[in-house]
Amino acid sequence: MAQVLPVRLGAAEDTLIAQLNSVGATAAAERITVAGLPTRRVESYHYTDLKMLLKTVPPLAEPANQASAPALRVAGAYQLMIANGVIQSSTTAPAGVMVGDAQGSALSTRDDVLVHLNGALAKQSLTLTLEGSVDPVIQVDRRIEGAAAHVADSLKIFVADNASAVILETFSGSDAAHVGNHATYLAVGKNAMVTHITVDLSGKATSHFATNEYDLDEGAKLRTLTIHAGAALSRSQVFARFAGQGAHGDFTGLNLVEDGQHNDITIDIRHAVAHTTSQEMYKQIARGRSKAVFQGKIVVERDAQKVDAKMMMQGLMLSDEAEILSKPELEIYADDVVCGHGSTCGELDEESMFYLMSRGLPQAEAETMLVRGFIEEVLDPIEDEALHEALVGIVDGWLLGA
Amino acid sequence: MTTPILEIRNLHARIEDREILKGVNLIIPPGEVHAVMGRNGSGKSTLSYVLAGKADYEITEGEVLLDGENLLEMDPAERAAAGLFLAFQYPIEIPGVATMTFLKAAINAQRKARGEAEMSTPDFMRAVKTAGTDLQIDTAMLKRPLNVGFSGGEKKRAEVLQMALLQPKMCILDETDSGLDIDALQVVSKGVNALRSAGRSMLIITHYQRLLNYIVPDVVHVFSDGKIVESGDKDLALQLEAKGYADFDGAAA
Repeated sequence: MAQVLPVRLGAAEDTLIAQLNSVGATAAAERITVAGLPTRRVESYHYTDLKMLLKTVPPLAEPANQASAPALRVAGAYQLMIANGVIQSSTTAPAGVMVGDAQGSALSTRDDVLVHLNGALAKQSLTLTLEGSVDPVIQVDRRIEGAAAHVADSLKIFVADNASAVILETFSGSDAAHVGNHATYLAVGKNAMVTHITVDLSGKATSHFATNEYDLDEGAKLRTLTIHAGAALSRSQVFARFAGQGAHGDFTGLNLVEDGQHNDITIDIRHAVAHTTSQEMYKQIARGRSKAVFQGKIVVERDAQKVDAKMMMQGLMLSDEAEILSKPELEIYADDVVCGHGSTCGELDEESMFYLMSRGLPQAEAETMLVRGFIEEVLDPIEDEALHEALVGIVDGWLLGA
Repeated sequence: MTTPILEIRNLHARIEDREILKGVNLIIPPGEVHAVMGRNGSGKSTLSYVLAGKADYEITEGEVLLDGENLLEMDPAERAAAGLFLAFQYPIEIPGVATMTFLKAAINAQRKARGEAEMSTPDFMRAVKTAGTDLQIDTAMLKRPLNVGFSGGEKKRAEVLQMALLQPKMCILDETDSGLDIDALQVVSKGVNALRSAGRSMLIITHYQRLLNYIVPDVVHVFSDGKIVESGDKDLALQLEAKGYADFDGAAA
């Protein structure tokens, strides 16, 4: 009989177990007691070994007394805020927007430690129901304020049939060593059109974890954009499910990583029905001694014929010490589909640099121009001008903060 | 004596272990247009890259003065600000950067380097419109990413547009006729000729005489095995066309 060795638990795990037990989530606590946080031996955490990377977890958050200024202001946006896991009162909602709240996390059950933690620790979910053509950008500003805190918060969005909306989520807060575990569930109704953008702008000491779950009904059109431009350790998970024919998803992301950072975008796109299409385009830029991770998985289920799915990861290395990791996976059970993936990685093109400099652009300016050009492909489809400008500003801030 | 715009003295350059330029001497006074002709592989394009400051080449000997200033000590951006412009044989495609954005950045970077004020947006738009009309470049083309998906003719016209806007002292045109049909050649040549002036010199690098029917040079040089082996007036180009290079460099064609 094989000997089962107990997992040696670290300080972070001990704290998590105590926190889970304190809210009565004994099953989730037991799970961590037995297995610990995932290591590189767990395939979906192969490049982001949480046991190694997450050394400590701060106490569960108290409600915030005060909030800092929004990390990102978009002219004309309708702002909602969740601070330290608590939904803040909001101004009158614009036409087509119904704001409410629900108990517990919005995520469905899934075998993933971040999902387990959110499910156990998120006390309430902000709920949004969007109908018709929602005019202003809806911004959900999620904060972790005050002393270092472990926060689980949650957002649940229903976009009605034939509706259209642009939703922006921003993550920020005080500079303390927070652990944020954020959940978003977004259901896109029949023929609805949704753009969903998440931007991590947390302080460097923060560990940022976000799980986004999407359900696409018939004819739905979804564009997602995940931007990491903050926390030292981050992981954004995208779980999408195509449940209605004719639905299309553009899944995009921008993983910006600098010295001392480890940022991970992991996506799992599931085509459950026929005649659904998706395009995945992720860009990673790494400078200093840093690590950028992209794991992309597309699953085409047995009856999902005529699926067309194409995934691309492009990495740009701005230093020799940076690492860009990419793991594309296709899992196809149907026999009449068009699926593909590609992954490239390189430095700034020397010929391009010479060309720009030969026109008088100093080296730093030429580099910035090339990096902006590299990124534009994922920012360009964002049509709202104020929003596009705000996102360009974030990227520029990152670039010039070198 | 007036200072030449470009003065090259005994220039030697190599790429890795291979010596490509083997003692180039060339003086171009203000306002003159010189042509350098030579067969493929003679080192003509290397000369243009070395002058523009491409990093791949090592200068082993010689010096280059641009309007009296030591060119070889400057990086490519400083050379541009000092008034050097290279029209590329194969202009590079820059995805995601609108041509207009690039033009404005380049103009203002050069102005800043020279301690001049930035060009205002209305002035810039006017300048682009004027220069663009002559070269048959419309605003739609300027909104596209730089050189991306441009035809051969569009790329060369865009190079001349940049030249017109940046107003360099010394223009180097590397095989500007390559990939152009007769109509495009005429438009491009007209654009280049419009930029000829008393204070601006040009170096036209080509291996066909054809371009020189449109942009008539003051002096023609024959380039062979890394140096200039013969110089003459514009008729030298015609002789070359008739006899081939063998008569000038002794090697079989």
